Amino acid sequence: MSMTALGLCARWTHVGAGVFLVGTFAFLLLAGRSDRLTVVAWERRLTRWTRWAAGLLLLSGLLSLSYQAAVVTGRSEDALSAATMLRVAGATQFGTVWLLRHGLLLLLAGLILLREREESGWDWAAFRGEGLLLGGTGLGLLAWAGHAAAVEPGGLAAAGADALHLLAVGVWLGGLLPLALLLRAAGQEVGADARPFAVLAARSFSQISLIAVLAVAATGIWNASNQIGNVASLLGTRYGHLLLLKLGLFVPILALAAVNRLRLLPALSGEAETVGRPAMRRLASFVALESALGAAILGVVILMSVTPPGRHAEPWWPLPFRFAYPPPHDVAGAGTRLLVGSQVALVGVLGLVAGWFLGWRRRLVVGVAAAVLVAGLGVALPPLAVEAYPTTYRRSPIPYQAASIADGRHLYATHCAACHGRTAEGDGPDAAGLPRKPANLSDPHVGRHTAGDLFWWLTRGIPGSGMSGFGDRLSEAERWDVVNFLRTVSAAGRARGLTAVVEPDRPWLVAPDFTYAVGPGASRSLKDYRGRRLVLLVLFTLPDSRPRLGQLARNYDILQTMGADVVAAPTDGGDQIISRLGASPRILFPVVTDGAREIVAAYSLFQPAAWRSPPTHVEYLIDRQGYLRARWTPDARDWAEATGLLAEIQQLNQETISVPPAEEHVH
Amino acid sequence: MRLWKAIALLNLALGVGLLIGYLWWGREASRLRQETTLTIQAGAAALEEREWAVRGVVRSVIPEINVLVVTHEDIPGFMPSMTMGFRAANPKLYAGVQVGDLIRFTLKGVPPNVTIVAITREGKS
Repeated sequence: MSMTALGLCARWTHVGAGVFLVGTFAFLLLAGRSDRLTVVAWERRLTRWTRWAAGLLLLSGLLSLSYQAAVVTGRSEDALSAATMLRVAGATQFGTVWLLRHGLLLLLAGLILLREREESGWDWAAFRGEGLLLGGTGLGLLAWAGHAAAVEPGGLAAAGADALHLLAVGVWLGGLLPLALLLRAAGQEVGADARPFAVLAARSFSQISLIAVLAVAATGIWNASNQIGNVASLLGTRYGHLLLLKLGLFVPILALAAVNRLRLLPALSGEAETVGRPAMRRLASFVALESALGAAILGVVILMSVTPPGRHAEPWWPLPFRFAYPPPHDVAGAGTRLLVGSQVALVGVLGLVAGWFLGWRRRLVVGVAAAVLVAGLGVALPPLAVEAYPTTYRRSPIPYQAASIADGRHLYATHCAACHGRTAEGDGPDAAGLPRKPANLSDPHVGRHTAGDLFWWLTRGIPGSGMSGFGDRLSEAERWDVVNFLRTVSAAGRARGLTAVVEPDRPWLVAPDFTYAVGPGASRSLKDYRGRRLVLLVLFTLPDSRPRLGQLARNYDILQTMGADVVAAPTDGGDQIISRLGASPRILFPVVTDGAREIVAAYSLFQPAAWRSPPTHVEYLIDRQGYLRARWTPDARDWAEATGLLAEIQQLNQETISVPPAEEHVH
Repeated sequence: MRLWKAIALLNLALGVGLLIGYLWWGREASRLRQETTLTIQAGAAALEEREWAVRGVVRSVIPEINVLVVTHEDIPGFMPSMTMGFRAANPKLYAGVQVGDLIRFTLKGVPPNVTIVAITREGKS
């Protein structure tokens, strides 16, 4: 058996034994005291089992640490190295939690092994209560050694929810085995003396486990939203699939629990003299089955603990379609269909709710309501369905940065412009020979496709259209560069609405990040200003721009006082640009000597008529959240007097932050 | 001893242990914080003369006050990369130096009072 399988088995045994101990002590407390012979025998048997469980718990804990040692160093022989294990225990969060937990678990084992005779009710309650306390703390602390503790921000809340999840699972799942044993013992002919005790215990357990299951569901949803976050990760990652498997196992458990609670439990206390012995035996086997399914769920959980959480993995979308609102292609009547369909579906939902509370002809009402719901969805959803591809929800590994956009622009000119046209309008010289007119990539609808869609088409091509795949000609990074460039082109189309006047409280155009350096100075990026300063990005050309730069230089101190910084990038690449700017008037704001080419290649797309005339002078005002808010060209008057610019800066200074910072990656 | 008494004692011990551990950890944390501040202060207040060789690009020459404004690289232990004015020890040092010149210069002094004591030109920027 492989190292990994052994390590995972150890973890599974560890969690299983912990759950069993917590559940058993909770159940013993819940069931209460009894001196009936069958009950005493059952308790003795359980005590024996808890000894085994405590032993297994410590042993598997040690194996888990040794497995972790091998995982941390990546060498399987380190699993047997005491030195590595000590280092892992002493220097990692996993180790700290491990030490803390195993201290408590040692105490628990001692408590179970050295138990003295119970002399009073106090002893009885103290022993079981202490077992529950130590076992519960040991189990709950596991949350701090798992994925939940790594959630940022809010790791404490996430781990707390996970701890609650584990505890609820312990009380519920762990209590099933003692219950099954008790019911089986009481269901036998000689166990008649324990039957009233068993019936009462089963009833109180039913109440407690209902609460526990609700807690499990609530904390489970919270955990899943932390670790997975969206449908794409649920359907498209391994972690998501494991969660679906877990839910798939949870459903039959719930069904069994419902049958037990609604059918078998009432039958236990029938009025006949049999006192539901058959029902008791059936309940015992159902409960045992539940607990076996629970053990399987724990197995899935262990697999999840070594799988990267869905939101950190790149999803591979399994369906050929997805739902998008608004739909990327305008479908005639989609709005009406959506409105009508959603109302019909709502009626269906209301019908379902009403049917649930209805005594009279419930099945008919529920059936009709379900049909109405399906019909409503059938009307509303199809116009929203758009084609989707495995990479549809992939996030670009290449940030939305000027350098990537510049590379993408160059790659576009080399590989794409022949058909899609130099200005991306689908009118290249080779377009005529194609079976279908190439897409107009400057059209706003391109922005409604995900970056992953574009990546897929770039990689695999579009069958029957003449668009070929570039998967073998361009590297993955290069294809993402082209995607970033196409996003900029699409954004640039909308940037036509940008003027020299800031639209109050309405940031919508993400400013691509860029990196620059002045001489031998350290390189900085736009992101460094995030949340602190406004940036006036100036693309300039000598000698025409010299007077304007002088004006900005003279006002540099007041600009700085008002929270704005100036970054000036020469359009001609910037060879000896500082020397060429000359000594008077003094220009002390950053003049980019390194990185200007990329900045100009990306940002010149945002100027009006970007493709036709090469840029000469254009200025962009970028807010503290990383959005382009205003654009100025010399033919506009507003900023020619510096007070015009200062007024726009003041406008931005007065804004309360209403949107999240611009995203680093395109979607 | 009765079992429940033993368990109560055990829990008391656990609680006290937790409290002591928490207090110790809290003290350790504040001690570390204090040490860090002291170290930083000690570093800042080092009253000894130091010398750095720094690269930069000249942004302005102001002979009236004998100052050179330079966009310079990081100066370890003194200041990060920025655009900054430095006093020259002697006006002859910057004779012939023009805006846009790439220079390597030597800073000498007790921070924050440092002066440029040597300049070599390396090119244009």
